[in-house]
Amino acid sequence: MNAIPRPIENIRIAKSRMGFAVCLFLVGYLAVGLRLADLTLLRGGDGTAIHTPQKPAIAQSRRADITDRNGTLLASALEMAAAYADTTLIKEPSILANDIHAILPDENKDKLVKKLSSGKKFVWLRRDLTPKQEYALNALGSPAINFQSEDRRIYPAGALTAHIVGYTDIDGIGIAGIEKSFDASLRDKNAPLQLTLDLRVQHILRNALQKRMKEFSAVGATGIVMDVHTGEIIAMVSLPDFDPHKPGDAKSRQRFSTATLGVYEMGSTFKLFSTAAALEAKQVSFSTSFDTKEPIRYGRFSINDYHAKRRRLTVPEIFIYSSNIGTARIAQTLGETGLRDFYAKLGFFTPVPVDLPERGKPLYPRPWKDIHTLTGSFGHGIAVTPLHITRAAAALVNGGILVTPHIIKDNATSLSPVAQGLRVVSADTSEAMRKLMSLTVVEGTGGKAKAAGYDVGGKTGTAEKNIKGRYVRDKLISSFLAAFPMREPRYVVLASLDEPKPSKNSHGYATGGWTGAPVVGEVVAQMAPLYGIDPDFDADGMMTRGMEKYLKEGKNVAALSAHR
Amino acid sequence: MPGLARDRMSLVDRLFAINWSFLLLLTMIAGIGFASLYSAAGGHFDPWAGKQMARFALGMAGLIVTAMIDIRIWRKLAYPFFGFVCLLLLWVELKGHIGMGAQRWINLGFMQLQPSELMKVATVLALARLFSGATPDDVRNPLFLLLPLGMIAVPVGLVLSQPDLGTALTILMVSGAMFFLAGVSYWMFGLALAGVAAAVPLSWMFLLRDYQKKRVETFLNPESDPLGSGYHITQSKIALGSGGITGKGFLEGTQSRLNFLPEKQTDFIFTLFTEEWGMVGGLGLMALFILLLAYGYVMAFQSQNQFGRLLSAGILSNFFFYIFVNTGMVMGLLPVVGVPLPLVSYGGTVMLSVLFGFGLFMSAYVHRDTKRQGMD
Repeated sequence: MNAIPRPIENIRIAKSRMGFAVCLFLVGYLAVGLRLADLTLLRGGDGTAIHTPQKPAIAQSRRADITDRNGTLLASALEMAAAYADTTLIKEPSILANDIHAILPDENKDKLVKKLSSGKKFVWLRRDLTPKQEYALNALGSPAINFQSEDRRIYPAGALTAHIVGYTDIDGIGIAGIEKSFDASLRDKNAPLQLTLDLRVQHILRNALQKRMKEFSAVGATGIVMDVHTGEIIAMVSLPDFDPHKPGDAKSRQRFSTATLGVYEMGSTFKLFSTAAALEAKQVSFSTSFDTKEPIRYGRFSINDYHAKRRRLTVPEIFIYSSNIGTARIAQTLGETGLRDFYAKLGFFTPVPVDLPERGKPLYPRPWKDIHTLTGSFGHGIAVTPLHITRAAAALVNGGILVTPHIIKDNATSLSPVAQGLRVVSADTSEAMRKLMSLTVVEGTGGKAKAAGYDVGGKTGTAEKNIKGRYVRDKLISSFLAAFPMREPRYVVLASLDEPKPSKNSHGYATGGWTGAPVVGEVVAQMAPLYGIDPDFDADGMMTRGMEKYLKEGKNVAALSAHR
Repeated sequence: MPGLARDRMSLVDRLFAINWSFLLLLTMIAGIGFASLYSAAGGHFDPWAGKQMARFALGMAGLIVTAMIDIRIWRKLAYPFFGFVCLLLLWVELKGHIGMGAQRWINLGFMQLQPSELMKVATVLALARLFSGATPDDVRNPLFLLLPLGMIAVPVGLVLSQPDLGTALTILMVSGAMFFLAGVSYWMFGLALAGVAAAVPLSWMFLLRDYQKKRVETFLNPESDPLGSGYHITQSKIALGSGGITGKGFLEGTQSRLNFLPEKQTDFIFTLFTEEWGMVGGLGLMALFILLLAYGYVMAFQSQNQFGRLLSAGILSNFFFYIFVNTGMVMGLLPVVGVPLPLVSYGGTVMLSVLFGFGLFMSAYVHRDTKRQGMD
């Protein structure tokens, strides 16, 4: 080293070091350059940061409308003015408060004065002004008052469709119902989203339910009308309901969509399915009879009848008098797992596939034991949503095909009928079930569902509510699950009341036959003409013709048959 | 001796010896800065672009004057200048004008002087002086290195106490570069790196202030707090990304101009520029910087004396660190430490100190043939 003169060594070192440093710097530049390309071309790879400024974009394109099947508006975005004030510019808060109060009389004057003299740079005055109010506020000429336009979601049908259409938060993001499940497409698309609902039927159903709810002082009610061939939900009501413009003011009980989210032990309406299971398995026929004299005891359980006949009953008699004992006997013919497998086929053990975020998860016995075949046959020990049984009933009456419930009007599904669905019973079983359902209205527990000329059939259900593991005798879920017209069913109608109390007119009854059945009768009588279903008085009882031979007390059936 | 001719250059000779194409490059980069500041103000020369142009003109004049002063004079002035700037730092420490929450400014009336920026140049100058007087054996001797280490400890300590972590780190990095260029053994750098690695957890616990910790945390995960301390970097990345390949066009940068981007005229001007001119513009600006540095290194190689080489390379390294830290910072590669983009960001001290640094660099170039006489 010492042999090398100092300046030359210095130069050597400096040059090699400088070269090295330049290389390092180039690496640094390369990193920065790559990052720049990454950010500008690929936007940093992480979408989250880049998505942040999209909010203005939401405001720019208006959220799409939602309509019913006839194009009637159910939800729309309306540009509204919102007024706010810079209170530092206000000289006389009380005078301005007076002026504002004159335009917005529902604003509390004292609160206005307080708000306006708060000294804040920004206070909201009102966020949904009508054009007239905006004009009048603007005409006050106060430099403190400013406006901003906001898109507000308007639901013209209000509470009538609140549970299905749902609602958005203040920023226009769907947080319930269709608004939530179709949030993205409502934001992106401009075409209105058409539902299968018919606002007219929705109104009829809600009206009828509200009337009975009041009559029987019920705490809630649920109703569904479904097209049996397409699975389209024509009407679906959960009561109590709420104003979708102010979901925050509603109690959680009001916001709760009982039709799709509530799971209940539906009681005797389940006899439709257990009877169908036995008929389908050819374990019983109409002429098969069972002894219903004695209650069935099974361990600590005892199965009794409401409308006890204390004799041997045929299968149709068991069905129309809604005998628990008889139905349990019928179900017993299916063996250990027959009923369970049939229920599984009907989709009772999984949430209903419907395009709503509010989907209830059924409760059912696991493991399934013999006792569950007995209790499950008349709808106890298994809890499903009202939509579950509506869908299953549609399958029993439409010829035997389980369809998927639709809430979005999609011409492809409504044109291609039941073919897509899964066959759950044969056409013969379906016809037998229609006969039994007709018979229930003509002769049995469902008499109040009669709608002259429209040939209604159905099944009542009265279940004691299971509260904390105990069945409570005076807290009932009383339902009627029906279809019409029975010769060639087109619609299934469910009406169910939550905790109806016996009324004066009902002779102390609060059963499905007294509460749900009249709702169905009323809905059918009003809805059928809308759908061009002509009344056919000759057809009344046609489905029950020849059934009298299975009934010991079939006076009405006999009379109808004799009439012909 | 050919060098002697240079030793006795007339003023006119020196003026012609200045590398004017290098100055043209500087002016082009500064021009991009003017345009960006014009855009940042929404298409007005007020309040930034106009002032910046005036300062650039002043700085260029200073650069030319500095370049014409003999390199040997600068060598003599190295230590006094270093001491003077240290005193200025101390002055700020004791009786500074409070700006942006940290005491960093001295109000000179026509502008506010930030001694910490000047300190970077002073450090380069002083270390170049020190190492140019040392033999290669000295440089390899760890004990000898205690002297320059002690020397830089003073300004680093003062800047840290302002507190200005970014500048302190830059001074350290520039000093490191000087040590490296002077020929300090590689193993000592290895040792220093190991020391830094060990010091990181300790300084995290005892030295760093909460806001500094927050910045580092934010750097590691800016999306964790996009409206709080992650705001700068998140907005910056959004703006950069929104520019795309070709940008939104001059005066059309919405993210920057709608004030989503804070400090758009100073530390985040690169973001504003790239939003408007896109990846093409951003890479173009970086290419100009690389061209300037590459040209600079070629010029530095031509210096015949150790002081000139070290000084030139040090000034260029300082310039590189500015660019690297700033662009890395706005793109989320480095924590936000408040380092401006030289010549482009709005700010008087940075402009003047960078141009003064290039003046020294140019002086080394003008006097590149000066041999070692009077240089030890």
